[in-house]
Amino acid sequence: MSGAAHPDAMAPPQPGRTRTAPPRKPSSWPAHPRMRVYTLFGLTGVVYFAMGFVLLYVFWQLGKGDAAWMSVMASMTSPFFIAFHVLSLISVVFVGVRFFRLFPKSQPAKIGPAKPPPQPVILAMLYAVWIGLTGLFVAILAGGLF
Amino acid sequence: MKHLLLRLEPLIWLLFGQGILIGTIFLTGWLLVVGIALPLGWVGFEPGQALDYQRSYALSSTVIGRLILLALIALPMWKGAHHLRHLSIDHGGADRDAAVALSLYGLAALGSIAAIVAVVRL
Repeated sequence: MSGAAHPDAMAPPQPGRTRTAPPRKPSSWPAHPRMRVYTLFGLTGVVYFAMGFVLLYVFWQLGKGDAAWMSVMASMTSPFFIAFHVLSLISVVFVGVRFFRLFPKSQPAKIGPAKPPPQPVILAMLYAVWIGLTGLFVAILAGGLF
Repeated sequence: MKHLLLRLEPLIWLLFGQGILIGTIFLTGWLLVVGIALPLGWVGFEPGQALDYQRSYALSSTVIGRLILLALIALPMWKGAHHLRHLSIDHGGADRDAAVALSLYGLAALGSIAAIVAVVRL
């Protein structure tokens, strides 16, 4: 496998004269509907980042013992955490739906001699895995299993 | 810095992709139970209830439990870091990319190390 390309490999050896103005984004670009949805998709990164650190705190407390765990679980019922978790759930579902819709389109036309299943089948499989594993996870956490 | 980021690009994209896929799948269940069912009183954390300390500790301290916890904690951080870096490039340009990338990936790396410590000490 070849090594990583030089980051400036495509740059001209020296800056040349140009008669055209440098490229500029149109001022309406951030307000375009597609761009707004894309920006929202990117902003879910804030929620995922925060969610990772909240979970780190929760399971750090689990390692500290019974009292710390009871305290952190009690704090999960505060209005702040309820609002944060509702926002997180909306973000997670938004990311899941958008990513799973994109995933079948990104598959190669052929993998060796085999063709991947039709896009609707891949999408249905992804949803089945998501719903199935979520159901299993909920059943375990809520005490229905184990 | 640009060279290092290019070298790490495949690893970062892997963590980002898994952050979306595995993070989303596991987070949905966690949020439904701890974020929704717990405040509504459908599950509890008092002794003998589903989320009590003994049961939570027993589930989390198995090998599979620790691996799932590590994925649940660390992968969303990488999804967040990578997405925010690209949002910064799209809206603010690439001039500050090296500093933004270093800050975000550095935070995600520190969080991942802390996550490893958290699951090992269970």
